[in-house]
Amino acid sequence: MTDATDTGAVAPQRHFISEADLRALAADLLGAGTDVIAPVSVDACQSPSALATAACLRPGVAPVEAEYKAIGDAAELDLGRAQPVLSLKQFFLPEHEALCRWHQRGLEVTVEEVPTSFAPRVVLAAKPCDSAALAVVDEVMNWDYEDELWNGRREASTIFNLACPVIDESCFCTAVGSAPDDVKGADGLLTPVEGGYLAEATTDKGRALIAAHAARFSPVDEPATAALVRQADDERAAARRRVAANLEIDAESVRDWIATHFEDPLLASLAIRCNGCGACSSVCPTCHCFDIVDEEEGVGRGTRRRCWDTCQAPTFTLHASGHNPRDDQHVRYRQRINHKFSIYPLKFGEVLCTGCGRCTRVCHAGQDLVEILGAIDIAARRPGEPVAAGTAGPEPGDAEAAS
Amino acid sequence: MNIYQPQLALVTDVVDETPDTRTLRLEFQDEAVRESFAFKAGQFGEYSVFGAGESTFCIASPPTREGYIECSFKAVGKVTTALREVNVGDTVGFRGPYGNSFPVDDWKGKDVVFVAGGIGLAPVRCVIWNVLDRRDEFGDVTIVYGARSVADLVYKRELEDWGSRADVKMVTTVDPGGETKDWTGEVGYVTPVVEATAPQAQNAVAVLCGPPIVVKLTLPVLEKLGFADDTIFTTLENRMKCGLGKCGRCNIGPVYVCKDGPVFTAAQMKALPAEF
Repeated sequence: MTDATDTGAVAPQRHFISEADLRALAADLLGAGTDVIAPVSVDACQSPSALATAACLRPGVAPVEAEYKAIGDAAELDLGRAQPVLSLKQFFLPEHEALCRWHQRGLEVTVEEVPTSFAPRVVLAAKPCDSAALAVVDEVMNWDYEDELWNGRREASTIFNLACPVIDESCFCTAVGSAPDDVKGADGLLTPVEGGYLAEATTDKGRALIAAHAARFSPVDEPATAALVRQADDERAAARRRVAANLEIDAESVRDWIATHFEDPLLASLAIRCNGCGACSSVCPTCHCFDIVDEEEGVGRGTRRRCWDTCQAPTFTLHASGHNPRDDQHVRYRQRINHKFSIYPLKFGEVLCTGCGRCTRVCHAGQDLVEILGAIDIAARRPGEPVAAGTAGPEPGDAEAAS
Repeated sequence: MNIYQPQLALVTDVVDETPDTRTLRLEFQDEAVRESFAFKAGQFGEYSVFGAGESTFCIASPPTREGYIECSFKAVGKVTTALREVNVGDTVGFRGPYGNSFPVDDWKGKDVVFVAGGIGLAPVRCVIWNVLDRRDEFGDVTIVYGARSVADLVYKRELEDWGSRADVKMVTTVDPGGETKDWTGEVGYVTPVVEATAPQAQNAVAVLCGPPIVVKLTLPVLEKLGFADDTIFTTLENRMKCGLGKCGRCNIGPVYVCKDGPVFTAAQMKALPAEF
């Protein structure tokens, strides 16, 4: 997957950029009026993350977390490589966005278009699992009708990933075809080395960015800088090994097992702790389901918007008649698993998950995708073997009784 | 103009079908759209009242009647309640046509049996008129339509129209207790009435639409009469938002109802997880 670039067999030219020059690059871009999106540290107590709430109540503790933000100053850039709480999705499919605006005067209605082209912007130090998710969602946004709002933002963005050291035991990007140094969905990769970063552009947009700011980069020519290159390669390989140790599955076996075991009690039992809050969908870089609503703005005018939605909400599939095809939480959770690991791969050839682990980290009920995929993989490839402890719980009906 | 932006359409006629079901006739405001707009029987659209939002209905008028489209709806939610308030001369929004269609052209020379329950007649009406407007191309036409009560029958004038035609076999029924003193149709649920009507299945296709219970109970009856799974067509009415295969709402197993459907054969439906 990491080799999937548009440069063919030729290895991309690597450049060195120092820490100071990377900040200077951000400053150059901001100075030229280009938006720069990058991870920044935020006071967790001021962020929407519910996870921070308990920590914020403790005296003397000021928890810090990362968020992607359109920065105003290069000093804000935080390359500490923590995972932002929300994925990069918010900059491509905003939490809510205008689809059109209407004005009504008497019987006359006019509809105003919203722009579908966007000013160029640069994303620095994106997580590889976040850029890969954009490439995965590209499929559904273009399988017939083309979503110009999504595509416009994609085209306007040049994305440089930062090779990820692997965050924790919830990461599993290598199990779903990605990697901590993936450039899928991105235009280049930064790998931390002594004193700065090795930068490699993998698309024309990426090469154009380096060319336009050539003064900030110095070409790396082996063998003079072989040690630097080796350091980068070693770190990337080590990260791949670390994440692979978290979870190894055969994604195709998982896909096919789910497609043929819709009514299998394992799927219901894996949903046992889920209470349908939908936080997983909000933090997920690939969840793209949305609602369309009208928002009135005074008399006779308003905005039609789309906003994030979740298949975990009972109202998601509720018919006007009152009939609900997914009227129980374990059925809605099954849809989430089915859509991500079976339906989407069968329809679009991509797993609708990049293994970022956010859904597991954010889940207050303890639903753990590493555990769940592991259990399905065992059912698919080694039927008869007991699944991991804690995954096969009581029957779904019992959850209702207990809650 | 992005794919979510609606066309504006003028309401040119309003018909109250039942105390809670209304039909609107719409004509596109933009002349070029009015000229170029084309659709196929079974396709649907997103209808909107600005300020209330969008709602999904089939196009209830046939493609053989050009210059306008019609939709029929029951006022049950926010958008349909707002649609219920619009009058002739008001402007609404429309996006579409979306989805696949009934393969009417493949039915040439065959008998066509229509079975509908309640407001399920709306998408079927489009196909009925499409077939009747091209009557010579088809064999026998049978229509079995049922509703809870006489008051709940939609398209009453058209039911009379179809019933009076020599080239249509029309059976109308109401649920027991739903009949009036002067009711001359059948009394009973749709499913047994279909069984009693017993349309012959050889060289025939069936179009079935209604509440989930009517579809569920009528399918085995059609099969018993000899209809093969790939000769029974229905239209699924999953909740939708975008209609364009993006928003994820109508997904069931391998299909997005809005793009792979809404028209499915019984064979295709049986291959789907039971989530509709």
